Amino acid sequence: MLKITDLRARVAGRDILKGVNLEVNAGEVHAIMGPNGSGKSTLAQVLAGREDYEITGGSVTFEGRDLLALRAEERARAGLFLGFQYPVEIPGVNNVYLLKAALNAKRKAAGESEVDAYEFLALIKQKMKFMHMSESFLTRGVNEGFSGGEKKRNEVLQMLVLEPKLAILDETDSGLDIDALKVVSNGVNSLRDPQRAVVLVTHYQRLLDYIEPDRVHVLSGGRILKSGDKSLAKELERRGYDWVAGAEVA
Amino acid sequence: MSRAPQVSTLPQSAALRSFAAQWHARDVDALQPVREEAMQRFLKLGLPTMRDETWRYTDLRSLAARSFVDAPRSIRDSTPPDAALALLGNSERAATLHMVNGHPTLPVAGEAIDGVEIRPLREVARLDPGALLRFLQPLSDADQQRWGLLNTALFVDGLYLKITGRLAAPLVILHVASGDGADNIAYPRVIIEAAPGSSATIIEHHVAHGEHTPLVDSHTQLALRQGAQLEHYRVYATGASATHVDSLTIHQDRDSRCKQFTIVLGGGLVRTALEAHLDQPGASLDSNSLLVGHAERHVDCVNIVTHGAAETRSNQTARAIAGDSSRVIINSKVIVNAGAVHAHSQQSCRGLLLSPTAEIDTRPQLEIHADEVKCAHGATTGRLDPDMLFYMLSRGLDRETAQSLLVYAFLADVLTGMSVVPARAAIENALIAQLPDSQTLRKFR
Repeated sequence: MLKITDLRARVAGRDILKGVNLEVNAGEVHAIMGPNGSGKSTLAQVLAGREDYEITGGSVTFEGRDLLALRAEERARAGLFLGFQYPVEIPGVNNVYLLKAALNAKRKAAGESEVDAYEFLALIKQKMKFMHMSESFLTRGVNEGFSGGEKKRNEVLQMLVLEPKLAILDETDSGLDIDALKVVSNGVNSLRDPQRAVVLVTHYQRLLDYIEPDRVHVLSGGRILKSGDKSLAKELERRGYDWVAGAEVA
Repeated sequence: MSRAPQVSTLPQSAALRSFAAQWHARDVDALQPVREEAMQRFLKLGLPTMRDETWRYTDLRSLAARSFVDAPRSIRDSTPPDAALALLGNSERAATLHMVNGHPTLPVAGEAIDGVEIRPLREVARLDPGALLRFLQPLSDADQQRWGLLNTALFVDGLYLKITGRLAAPLVILHVASGDGADNIAYPRVIIEAAPGSSATIIEHHVAHGEHTPLVDSHTQLALRQGAQLEHYRVYATGASATHVDSLTIHQDRDSRCKQFTIVLGGGLVRTALEAHLDQPGASLDSNSLLVGHAERHVDCVNIVTHGAAETRSNQTARAIAGDSSRVIINSKVIVNAGAVHAHSQQSCRGLLLSPTAEIDTRPQLEIHADEVKCAHGATTGRLDPDMLFYMLSRGLDRETAQSLLVYAFLADVLTGMSVVPARAAIENALIAQLPDSQTLRKFR
């Protein structure tokens, strides 16, 4: 589904990604772990199409298409979703309007008609209940005044409504208490499906207690230094990231 | 009686000479001494220039070379202005009062509405000049009042509204500017007095009709007596060739509340001045300006609020967006006079640039002569937030829709303050029409 080959990217004049290789197949959940500053979030943003991040080399294909040739909005409509590490507050733009606009943009791209307003409301209410969100979120501005945990739930809510083929969740677990972590994990697990894939970008192993990955990768210094199955996460937890970085030197 | 204004030198510019000629042609009325003084002062001071404090960003030199004549008192082809311009439907307003180039289209007396007395200024001048003179004086030499002086000298008619009760539905004054040649000028004058304890919503809507739009020098005065509540709108929706200099003066007595909206959606050069005086304790003013720069439009907004008594409160919110090659200026000033203790003022000026060739200038100013006051001000100008934009794009929205939603959100502070829901909707529609991808945006409003 997603094939990243020797991807290199630069942010504000600094080389951040220095040759990332990764392949994610439909039905799989991958976890990308790594120390702070290793390039995890940059990779997520580059995949979503952030324009001020300069691609300096490599290629990315998504379902056989050249992902890097698509603009951010085209990637979203093609079925790619980024759950933001720091979801942006947009006062004055209603949370539900944005979601409806997003869903309709996707449907339009797929040649479908716009969603019926009544059906949409029923759908969103059902998903909000699943995410343990109060209906007051319906009338609020996008992430406006939301707590850190509420923002993350809102990201997963958007994901559930948009049903992406590939979800990239950037530190969706950070700042969550244990109850919220369970809710968010349930949300992600409910989307698991042989036709979809999920990439979890995370600093900590604890998320992987709730969402079991098929593959775990360690990103450090802008490159994937080690890949393995879920036991790699456990080992990292025990030995720390220095272990991987040290292994590379050795 | 001699009509020659006693000025030491002959007016130098063609415009001033034409104003003097209009003055000579006017009928003498009971307001004569005040008008004459106003005319003399105007001719002496001349057209404001960029050296005048509140005119630093607006160049009126192109007007100086023109010779102006009075715009007609009625629309020649008698076609009513386009109904699509209406801000409110018939059921949503108490009445619409029409003014053509400053002349009320009568019979105004036929507009019998409970709680408001409506009279043409010409009639008030004849029957009760004393009542009118109270509003025309004192004359001010301040440069933000320059065109107001000319209006006082030369207005022929206008509207006097006395609110005596509590009006449930808004009252609309539809100002139609319509010329019969290139160099017409109109002097619309409106005086609104809200009696103690009364309340009303008044919408002044400026539109143009026909091929030629006159230069409009309009002046409105609001006087709120004790405990009165007034929500006042002035909406500019003329065409790109229109030049409009408007000034609004507000005086507020004890415990009165005024909510004012200045909305620029049209015009080529629009100057909006607001001068508010919170004269007595407990007076409170919310001034909201929504200024949309589009195409080559030049918008110059000057708001000056004077706290003249203790325990007064003012809140100024100005939002400007400028696209294409437009320019928007926000001058916002608060003056707290000596003795106005516990005055509370807030100013928020924000500008949003939508094009590299657009320009926004914001100047919030504070002048405090009293102790124990609380005054806050802030001004920012920038482009659309790239993080917000990327967030929306990453959800699949196309760029134009995302940008429009952000622009709309930027203006939300002002829009959400409007109590008249259908007027707000109409204003939003007019606003959206000037934004990119308006069709898509309408669906998500």
